[in-house]
Amino acid sequence: MKTIFLVDDSATILLSISNILAKAGYATEKASNAEEALRKFQAGVKVDLLITDLNMPGMNGIELIKEVRKLPAYKFIPILFLTTESQQSRKVEAKAAGASGWIVKPATADDLLNTIKLVLR
Amino acid sequence: MDELTSVFIQEGREQLQALESGLLQLEQNPEDHDNINGIFRAAHTIKGASGVIECHFIESFMHKVENVLDRLRNAEIGVSAELTGVLLRACDHLAQLMDVLESGATEPEPFVLAAGERLIGELAAYLPTAPTGIVEAESEVEASGGGVVNTDSWHISVRFGPHMLRGGMDPLSFIRFLGSLGEIVAIETLADGMPDAAEMDPEACYLGFEIRLQTRAGKADIERVFDFCSDDCDLRILPPNSKFAEYVKLIRELPEDDMRLGEILVRCGAITEAELEAGLKLQHAPAPDASLPSLGDPPKPLGEILVENKVIQKEVIDAAVTKQTQVNEKKAVEARLIRVQADKLDQLIDLVGELVIAGASTNLLAQRSGQGELVESTSILSRLVEDIRDSALQLRMVQIGETFNRFNRVVRDVSRELGKEIDLQISGGETELDKSVVEKIGDPLMHLVRNSIDHGIEAGDLRESRGKPRRGTVVLNAFHDSGSIVIEVGDDGGGLPRDKILHKAIDKGLVPAGQNLSDQEIINLIWEPGFSTAEQVTNLSGRGVGMDVVRKNIQNLRGNCDVSSEEGKGTTFTIRLPLTLAIIDGFLVSVGKSSYVIPLDMVIECIELREGGADRDYLNLRGEVLPFVRLRDMFDIAGRRPARENVVVVQYAGQKAGIVVDQLMGEFQTVIKPLSSIFRHLRGIGGSTILGSGEVALILDVPTLIQRNIASGNQLQQARRLQLGNTSL
Repeated sequence: MKTIFLVDDSATILLSISNILAKAGYATEKASNAEEALRKFQAGVKVDLLITDLNMPGMNGIELIKEVRKLPAYKFIPILFLTTESQQSRKVEAKAAGASGWIVKPATADDLLNTIKLVLR
Repeated sequence: MDELTSVFIQEGREQLQALESGLLQLEQNPEDHDNINGIFRAAHTIKGASGVIECHFIESFMHKVENVLDRLRNAEIGVSAELTGVLLRACDHLAQLMDVLESGATEPEPFVLAAGERLIGELAAYLPTAPTGIVEAESEVEASGGGVVNTDSWHISVRFGPHMLRGGMDPLSFIRFLGSLGEIVAIETLADGMPDAAEMDPEACYLGFEIRLQTRAGKADIERVFDFCSDDCDLRILPPNSKFAEYVKLIRELPEDDMRLGEILVRCGAITEAELEAGLKLQHAPAPDASLPSLGDPPKPLGEILVENKVIQKEVIDAAVTKQTQVNEKKAVEARLIRVQADKLDQLIDLVGELVIAGASTNLLAQRSGQGELVESTSILSRLVEDIRDSALQLRMVQIGETFNRFNRVVRDVSRELGKEIDLQISGGETELDKSVVEKIGDPLMHLVRNSIDHGIEAGDLRESRGKPRRGTVVLNAFHDSGSIVIEVGDDGGGLPRDKILHKAIDKGLVPAGQNLSDQEIINLIWEPGFSTAEQVTNLSGRGVGMDVVRKNIQNLRGNCDVSSEEGKGTTFTIRLPLTLAIIDGFLVSVGKSSYVIPLDMVIECIELREGGADRDYLNLRGEVLPFVRLRDMFDIAGRRPARENVVVVQYAGQKAGIVVDQLMGEFQTVIKPLSSIFRHLRGIGGSTILGSGEVALILDVPTLIQRNIASGNQLQQARRLQLGNTSL
């Protein structure tokens, strides 16, 4: 089973995405902030895909992506970030940090699963 | 309501509060970028989350709010009182929408929607005029004819950028995903970009593909597949039945050798050889731009690519801007929280209560058994139970600051409405009290604060003429005091007008005319039912809720409320509440065969009642007069007084009193069991508890007992005063 790691400071979003993923047969790991996520990555959590929000208090998503990419084990894993139409400008920045792609909020379950299918090996 | 929605409502309300306090702060400090970012983030989170739960009426409304905040964040518009006013009203509207969602309705009432529309109209003033919709013209394509070409497929030409793999992407995923859109009719891999082995970077991607795809999907869908690498790859998508001129252009624009790419295209059936030849000829024509119009309309992909380029450039600029603002972005470390449902906590507290009772009976049995070791181990156990009890109760404690902060908005709005200038000073916001108390204290506080603004603080001119600063101050303060939490609502206004109050009370028949009342007694008349001194009923205080209701609400929380006032200087309301409503440390006493519990926080000391003091109801405590009450008399307990009686000295709200009992039994952890409603009218008893032996003990309501004592003491003094007055006549 593929494991997807979710990071978002909004409990609503974490719960809704993990519900969708669970129904589609993915395992999920969750963190409500970037610091917590990074600690788990540094501890070597088994992950096939990372999905993170960009705008979070404390460490933001872009910094998290940069830090995760620095870890050899996660150099090539797909990383998606959550964004909205109003945040187009941040896509470039996040891509430069090492993100593979993005999911536009609010995403339908189909959009979400399709995007995941696109980037998962 | 499903779990997701309830999580959203809770989260949404928190964010709404952050939004509101941010906006209020913005008025004070318009240049605070951290704050503006915080405001934006709060609005953004609500919008995002509402989209997730598919609550479109909140989402679409917040979208407009967010747009305005985005412009504010980018300094495209400035902060103004009008802007914050509109945004604060938008917060109110959002709160209303949340209520609608919570009520389970799918759509707000028409009048709510209309209010939302009006707000959106007002917000639109802060947005740029909407651009006229860009109509994407879908150019018709003619069949190019001449040769057998597989023309009903899309042609996709892609060269992946070198950073592809390092971005966590795999070219194979794209191709596999394209396959899910339709059928890949033909695919050719181009490795022309591959350098010599020595120069090759194993982490870079050098591949390109020419793909023919048969699908019902539109161009946008195909493009979307490559969305994630659009800035890092060279992508051309030609629709089915494209004119061959477009293929020619493709050949011309891609990096591979003309001949080779041409051959590949022919091989995968995109163009015929004749077309290729014509195209190559065209390519060598001196002015390629001039030759294009002769082939028909300019090809569409070019236009799209241009637009795309523009977008990318804009994004780069935007990214630079956000980078700058980001440096300033708040790095506030927010406390790590776990959300737990309140009823789970209640259940835990209930269990701890049972544990305490069971522990008490174990203790009792151990003591009776007389086994030293057993007594020792049970006492260790009961100490642990005490710790568990404290930790469990601590879980329910929340800071009152959040409740206080709500009043920033109230003071701002109400003072504007009345044309007064008022500051709110908050202190002691970190003081903790039980969550259920916090929830219920909001309304009484609201009433008191509104009262202070409405009746307490005078108009600016009047204040100046009285030699006070023009701006009035309302103070909210909280602190802990002997097992209670004290909340003060104060103002530096005109104070309570005693003459007016007395006059009114006589008019209403609350006191007989001519009665001699002390100042404090007059002030206390405001607590009488149906009392209101406002000459003109404003829309703030004249809501039919008198101070008596405020006091009753507070008493329902086992608290009480006092007022002190100095004419011309101000008024302070003091609310005292128990810290918790579940378990307390008690002091067990007995009278005859009955047991009573006195809350330990209120006990100061215990003394022996010397014989001789038997007929008075006060004693001399180291030079101080200490009034006392005999429980035996008060509850009419049968039996003779023992030879030695004890006095428990208690203190509440700065007043001391004695409670005379037969025997002192010591400290006792008390799980409060509320009395059933038929005993509600009982004064002097606050609840009951179960002893280790299984017997019931009553918990004394010390404030009421003291009031009784002091009140009767007052009457005594009064009577004495009157007598003196008479004799002097």
